[in-house]
Amino acid sequence: MFRKRYRQQIPELNTTSTADISFMLLIFFLVTSSMDTEKGLLRQMAPPPLEQEQPKDINRDNVMQVKLDANNQLTCDGKTVTYQQLTAEVHSLAFVNRTGHVISIQADPATTYEAYFQMQDAIVSAYQELREEYAKKHYGHSYAACTNDEKTALNEYYPQRISESPIKEGGAQ
Amino acid sequence: MRPMKSMFHQSRKSVPSLNVASMPDLIFTVLFFFMIVTHMRSDEVKVRLQVPQGVEVQKLANKQAVVNIYIGREGGKESRSEAGRWAVQLNGDIVNPKDIPALIEQIRGGLSAENQSRLTVSLRVDRKAPMGLVSEVKRNLQQAYALKINYSATEIKK
Repeated sequence: MFRKRYRQQIPELNTTSTADISFMLLIFFLVTSSMDTEKGLLRQMAPPPLEQEQPKDINRDNVMQVKLDANNQLTCDGKTVTYQQLTAEVHSLAFVNRTGHVISIQADPATTYEAYFQMQDAIVSAYQELREEYAKKHYGHSYAACTNDEKTALNEYYPQRISESPIKEGGAQ
Repeated sequence: MRPMKSMFHQSRKSVPSLNVASMPDLIFTVLFFFMIVTHMRSDEVKVRLQVPQGVEVQKLANKQAVVNIYIGREGGKESRSEAGRWAVQLNGDIVNPKDIPALIEQIRGGLSAENQSRLTVSLRVDRKAPMGLVSEVKRNLQQAYALKINYSATEIKK
C-alpha cells in the first residue's frame, strides 16, 4: 500500500523556462554592451622639435601647401579647392614624386575640426587610391585582400609624407 | 484485437522528453563569454560631442593601450544650445590641456612594457571644435611623446 502510493516519482521542477530567462539576459547584454569598434584615422606625430634643429630645405616644386583658413576655406598652393580636388592634386603629386614630395598642412586656430578632419581624410584617400592601383597591378588583388606583409610593402612604397606646421597662437600671421 | 502487441512491447512507453536542464548552463556560458569579451566603456563622457564622418577610417586595435581624449562642449545632454565652454576630458575627468603630459606619463607608468610602446591616444573631437584647442592638445601629447594618435570618426561608405 505504502509502496504503491510512492511508486510515481516526485515530479521534477520544470526548468524549461530557465533557458528563456538566460536567453533574455544574454540578449539584454548584447543590446546594452557597447560593441562599437573604435574607428578613426590613425596618425603618427613627429617627436617634439629639438632646440637646435635646422629646418631641412626641400625643393619648392615638391611641396604642396594645403591651408585651411578661419572660414573653413581650403586652399592648395594658393588655389581654392574642394576636398575631391585636393584628393586629385595629392594623387598626382604623390604619383609623380613618390618619396620626395611633402604635403604641408596648415590650419587656422578658428578652423572647425570637421573641416580639418575632412582634409586629412581627403589626403589619406589619395594615398589609398595609389596603393590600391599598385596592389591591383602587382599583386592582382585589391589592397583589402593583401596580406600584412604586402600591406607594409605598399605603405612603404607610397609613404604618407605629411608635415604639419604648428598653429600660431593668436592667428595673427 | 492486437495480436502483434507483444512484438511492440516497447511502444507502450511514451517517448522520453528531451532533458533541457543543461541548456541554461550552456546559455550562461555564452552570456559570460560575451560579458568578458565585450569592451565596456568605463568612463562617462562629460562633454557633448559628435565625431565627424570619414571614408578612410580604420579599426583601432589593442584597446588596453588606448587613452581616450574627448573634446566637446561642457554641459549635460539637456542643454542643446550652442553655449557652453569647450572642455577637454581625458579618460574619466575634465582636465586642463596643460596637465595632459603629466597624466599621460602617469597612465604610461601603469602599462606593461609592450603596451607602453603601443600607446595610442584616441581623439574624439566634436565637429565644431576649433582647431586652436585641438592643436594645443596635440602639442601637449607631443611633449609627452604620445605620438600615435587616432582621429576618431564614424565610417561612411563610398
